[in-house]
Amino acid sequence: MLIKIAVFEFRYLLRNPLVWITAAIFFAMIFFSMNLEGWELGSEGGLYRNSSYATLRNSLMFTLMFMFASASFVANAVIRDDETGYGPIIRSTPITKFEYVIGRFLGAYAITAACMLVLPIGSLLGTLMPWANPASLGPNRITDHLYAYFLIALPNLLTHSAIFFALATITRSMMATYLAVISFLFAFFSLQEGLVRPQLNAAVAIGEPFAARAVKDAVRYWTLAERNAMLPDFSGALLYNRLLWIGVSVLCLAVAYAVYRFADRGMSKRERKKLKAAQREQAPRGTPSVERRPDEGRALPSPRHGNPALRALMWLRVKFEFRQVILSPAFPVLLLFGMFQTVFALAGRSPEYQPEYPTTLSLIPEIAEGFRLALMVVAVYYAGELVWRERDRRVHELIDAAPIPNWAYVVPKTMALALVLVSVLLCNVSAAIALQLSEGFTDIELGKYVLWYVLPNSFDMLLLAAVAILVQSLSPHKAVGWGVMLLFMLWQELNRTARFVNHNLLNYGETPSMPLSDLNGAAFFWKGAWTVRLYWGALAVVLLLVAHLLWRRGTEIRLKPRLVLARRRLAGAPGLVGAAALLAFAATGAYAYYNINILHGYRTKEEAEIAAVDFEKRFGKYKGLPQPSLEEATLDIALDPYERRAVTRGRYLLRNLTAQPIADLHVSLPVKYGLDLTEVAVAGARQVLNDEKYNYRIYRLARPMQPNDTVLLTFETRRWHRGFRNASQDTAILENGTLLTEEELIPVLGNYYPGLIQDPETRRKYGLPELPAQPKLEDLSATSKVSFPNGWIKKFDITLSTAADQTPLAPGKKISDVTRDGRRTARFVSTAPMRLRFSVQSGRYAEKHRKHRGVDLAVYYHPRHHWNVDRMLDAMAASLDYYEPNFGPYQQDHFRVIEFPGYRGYAEAFAGTIAFSESAGFTGQYNKEDSFDFVSGMTVHEFAHQWWPGQMAGAEMEGYSVFVETLAQYSAHMVMKQMYGEDQIRPYLRYELHRYLGGRAWETNEPPLARVGSQSYIAYRKGAMVMYLLSKRIGEDGVNRALRNMLARYKWKGAPYPRTLDLIAAFRAEAKTPEDQELITDLFERVTLYDLEVDAPTATQRADGRWDVTIPIAAKKFYATGDGVETETPLAERIEVGLFTAEPGSDAFQQSDVIMMERQPIRSGIQTLKFVTEKRPAFAGVDPYNFYIDRDSADNVLPVASPGSAK
Amino acid sequence: MLNLEKVTHVYPNGTRALDDVTLSIPKGMYGLLGPNGAGKSTLMRAIATLQTPTSGTIRFGDPTGSHPAIDVIAEPERLRRTLGYLPQDFGVYPRISAQDMLDHMAVLKGIASKADRKATVETLLHQVNLWSVRKKMLAGFSGGMRQRFGIAQALIGNPGLIIVDEPTAGLDPEERNRFLNLLAEIGENVVVILSTHIVEDVSDLCHRMAVLTDGRVQVEGSPQELIRATRGRIWMKVVDRAELPDVRERYEVLSTRLSAGRTVVHVLSDRDPGDGFTAADADLEDVYFSTLAATRAQSRRAA
Repeated sequence: MLIKIAVFEFRYLLRNPLVWITAAIFFAMIFFSMNLEGWELGSEGGLYRNSSYATLRNSLMFTLMFMFASASFVANAVIRDDETGYGPIIRSTPITKFEYVIGRFLGAYAITAACMLVLPIGSLLGTLMPWANPASLGPNRITDHLYAYFLIALPNLLTHSAIFFALATITRSMMATYLAVISFLFAFFSLQEGLVRPQLNAAVAIGEPFAARAVKDAVRYWTLAERNAMLPDFSGALLYNRLLWIGVSVLCLAVAYAVYRFADRGMSKRERKKLKAAQREQAPRGTPSVERRPDEGRALPSPRHGNPALRALMWLRVKFEFRQVILSPAFPVLLLFGMFQTVFALAGRSPEYQPEYPTTLSLIPEIAEGFRLALMVVAVYYAGELVWRERDRRVHELIDAAPIPNWAYVVPKTMALALVLVSVLLCNVSAAIALQLSEGFTDIELGKYVLWYVLPNSFDMLLLAAVAILVQSLSPHKAVGWGVMLLFMLWQELNRTARFVNHNLLNYGETPSMPLSDLNGAAFFWKGAWTVRLYWGALAVVLLLVAHLLWRRGTEIRLKPRLVLARRRLAGAPGLVGAAALLAFAATGAYAYYNINILHGYRTKEEAEIAAVDFEKRFGKYKGLPQPSLEEATLDIALDPYERRAVTRGRYLLRNLTAQPIADLHVSLPVKYGLDLTEVAVAGARQVLNDEKYNYRIYRLARPMQPNDTVLLTFETRRWHRGFRNASQDTAILENGTLLTEEELIPVLGNYYPGLIQDPETRRKYGLPELPAQPKLEDLSATSKVSFPNGWIKKFDITLSTAADQTPLAPGKKISDVTRDGRRTARFVSTAPMRLRFSVQSGRYAEKHRKHRGVDLAVYYHPRHHWNVDRMLDAMAASLDYYEPNFGPYQQDHFRVIEFPGYRGYAEAFAGTIAFSESAGFTGQYNKEDSFDFVSGMTVHEFAHQWWPGQMAGAEMEGYSVFVETLAQYSAHMVMKQMYGEDQIRPYLRYELHRYLGGRAWETNEPPLARVGSQSYIAYRKGAMVMYLLSKRIGEDGVNRALRNMLARYKWKGAPYPRTLDLIAAFRAEAKTPEDQELITDLFERVTLYDLEVDAPTATQRADGRWDVTIPIAAKKFYATGDGVETETPLAERIEVGLFTAEPGSDAFQQSDVIMMERQPIRSGIQTLKFVTEKRPAFAGVDPYNFYIDRDSADNVLPVASPGSAK
Repeated sequence: MLNLEKVTHVYPNGTRALDDVTLSIPKGMYGLLGPNGAGKSTLMRAIATLQTPTSGTIRFGDPTGSHPAIDVIAEPERLRRTLGYLPQDFGVYPRISAQDMLDHMAVLKGIASKADRKATVETLLHQVNLWSVRKKMLAGFSGGMRQRFGIAQALIGNPGLIIVDEPTAGLDPEERNRFLNLLAEIGENVVVILSTHIVEDVSDLCHRMAVLTDGRVQVEGSPQELIRATRGRIWMKVVDRAELPDVRERYEVLSTRLSAGRTVVHVLSDRDPGDGFTAADADLEDVYFSTLAATRAQSRRAA
């Protein structure tokens, strides 16, 4: 009987459209994730789409997403009979309660389990599609799917099905169950956020219901090869997790069984009360049936059809629809959900370790992105509910027979939907404001919330709603309408990432982006966004008009009779509205087309690709052609920030630093869009080529330049941002906070073009030769080129003029600064050689200066972003204090930190300058105990770039970024150590280790540090670890001496430029022992990993009161190949062993907690170290401060056990 | 006033709900009788602009009057301005009281001014005897109360055409009387179509009537005419229950009714069947059942 009931339930649910819709969506998602470009479910480059890890991850992800559907299935199974009133019939049959309750559950659970089968099927089929990219797929392994289905998916589904089944049984309410799902999800995600403390790892891995954490922990530092093909052992936390939650599920079912009352429930207390009240109210009125009124039979007023009646009608319908929406029980649920979702989105808003002030600017994108999908669902769901309300309530025959025009449905319903959307958005806003206030942030900017969030988002959602209303008014059933809309949204979402259709004028509801900034507001970007919004809005009006014309009245579902009527209805006002909307559509469309296509030469992705190919085919042959170098440059930049225009006139003094004569000068622009080369003249040369399309010119000298000859070149470029683009707006010239780099201003000599197509696949497709690999370290010919164009410039003279109310800023010593005729002009001249990497900036800044070591330290900032200005000045002063004595003098008399709008979210070092994004430090908040001083960290790092590579840069070959990022990061750590003490530097090292291990997990070919390419996780993160350990071994002085020696040889020198080999040689000169020499090899020339762990240390008190401490240590050392294959190698090094009274790395830890810290010989395998101490140690550890690269850094330190309890 | 010409409606699933219906309905009460599934509701909806028939025309209005007749299919909006419709089966919005909903309906029907609406709502609530419960939520109404509300809304704004589909279902006898009286009063000046399967409703009230089965009009005329036409063809006899199968076998039985433990049988026969049958005093029920019998016979022949 149990089985029969389960089977019946299963078959009954099979007829539920939700089952099929869910299965279809999931199938589509997983299927296309295997073969469609840009539709990956995760974003881990290099991981096969059907890898073991991806299979597990998909399984986890889908079981989470499935929660709403499965809650609906199981709740339906238990609530249905009461709602339909069929319950008594069923319960009067001879089935038992057990058969009934558990049978129903099993049937519903079986449906969810069956739905989840689309995962393996969809992904296997997906990999077989002919358009799938074989390079992104590995072999299909059936074991992966078995593991994912039986060990991940089925237990997860059981868990949430059982929980919601129990909840539905207790509450007997669908709405309560949905609320529970939302709260459950909310709690789940916020706890995930909250419980990242490593101490809790093991507990969370077991206690978290879906084993996401257990799986994540198991594979945390796995390499790509491992993630692609290996499954985590089903043991430990993972196994206990599954057992625990299966147990919980059984318990939930037992509760559901116990709670379920088989006999009729009767009326609830509340219902009884209600009934009584109603009876009381009615009682004293007597029997009304005999009542007669004198005016009975009086003629009723007759209708008057006309404008007043229509106005009354409109007002009434709107009011009525609003009322219906607001009073519906779903509405408060929705608002609560909106609040939760906002709080949830904002809880995880800051990147790890980098808390920010909750500025309106920083919150808006978070809530917008976090809530977009939910809003879409709300819009589409409500459109269905509103359009079908009359029919669902079976009042359609009453209402539809009334003499009301169709717009009396369409318009009020649309407005009611707008009300819903705006209310939800306002809820988001109020939650965001509550968060701001709760963090003590009182600078509430309501206007920004409205203009930047509520208005654009509600408008966009109404665009979607208009489609939904039309679709619903045409579709024969509400579910069909929803289905169609789901497909529509799926298409839109697919297209958002894959951009099959890219032009905003062809993508319904898409608008050019409107990047936001406190400095610059919504700037001119809002014009583009709202022009295209109006364009789609006009179309939405047309759609609603069609809905009006074709509105379904009565029981008529066929389209044809409605079409016949529609033609007649079009006459008069609807026709006029339609014509006006179409006109607006055409006008805004034409204007947007003019901006996007005419002014900005819109290209599709393919056209842009073809242009890049075309450029390379025409000019690629000139790559590597010997060209003279820039020795002196004079620039005169006329910037008009309000016109968004910059005209640059310049003069280059060029010198032939090569060994051969040069006949042709190639003058080109490094970027291909936005900048125009309007004029070029080369003394003593004639133009032989002028390619205006690609801004490429060739000049032939009458007399070729001999080595060391010079020649003069003058030019003019123009940048003029007019109107708006389709996407990625030009954010260089701004009304406030302009940031122009040399790439955006001036021509270069030779063929330097960073926009070359990199992807080997695409290059093959267009018949382009393979890009040459980075030159090997051993290739000495490569040392003739430095890793940036043009080498060192000896003299740099730049005049920048801007609007009178702005501060012009450019590299060099400020010579003059005058304001005349509404223009402010300043001239800057360099006092030392510099590389051709500079920024000119202009804005309405507040400034703060500090003189330190004879240098003018300055911060130019938006007056509202004052929080970190002093911190930056402190960090600059500390930098000078460390860098000058240790590396040598700073080359300028000024150092400027200049804020720019957060359209770009980084800080970058230019000559004498850091351009600091408003979103990368100016709004950072570091008064919290558990965060790093990230602003100082960035400031000192960027300042260090004034030496590396400001004074010495590596050759363009393997390892070049060591000269930039590794050295800057090392310098930064040393300054931070000075500022905060060595105890506090440890969390930074841990962070570097975490980032390095996390980065290499996705690597396909990991080089050792000496040969690093563009991998920032190696150059920054591993580099920092390596340099720190090196400074512990050969001494900080040794490292700095080596660096000074390097500077002495290479500072501002031309070719040959240094290699990492030279740097390593300098370090080796400081290494005194063979052990240190070997360490340098391991650190720089190999990929070396350690596994150091302490196993159950104990302390026993001796007769003399001192303590015998025993520390068992297990140690291993590995060398890894590029693809992550590790080979164990014997370890015999002296490594720090420490005894402490507090745990190193914890908040309470101080220098005085160190009982002993000394280097001990550690070898491979297990060994036991014994010490005698005065104090009883609480913690013991090997490499307790994590100097070594160790995949499991948590087991380096353990608490010391008492003698009795030791095993 | 209301003219239907060759109205045919075929549902997408192939059901021929209306088959070539041609009717001319004058002012006054008009009864439309038929069993369940005869196509009554489809016809009502077609007239009420809620269902476009597959073919045929429906016109409303006095061709001699100043206004041109309304082509109901082409200009549903015009008909709706003078239409009062009570569907056979309808629901209500949640969270709204009878009074508010009636007020709402009044606005929908074009009663724009507040005063007019107030008068309308109050009068109608009294007329249908819902005044005392006007503030209760409609959703909590019993079937009969809901039906009365439906009647009230159909009367808003003095419609020229009132269509009531099975209006007396769920009403108790007193309410039914009240309602029929109300209809009769209004029906003097306007067209009222009363669709029902209860013969008494029609016989009490209607000046003209039609019997609809299988989507076709079987007979049409005034009840008196129809009864007259049947006179002499209806015979009755009181039999025991045991004899009933035999009687059914031998005669076209129209109806059977229990009376004091025995069964009164009406049969249809053009001649005196003898066998103890006596001529019955034919009433509308006999007309109705004889029509149904004729249809059955027809379809048997066709099959």
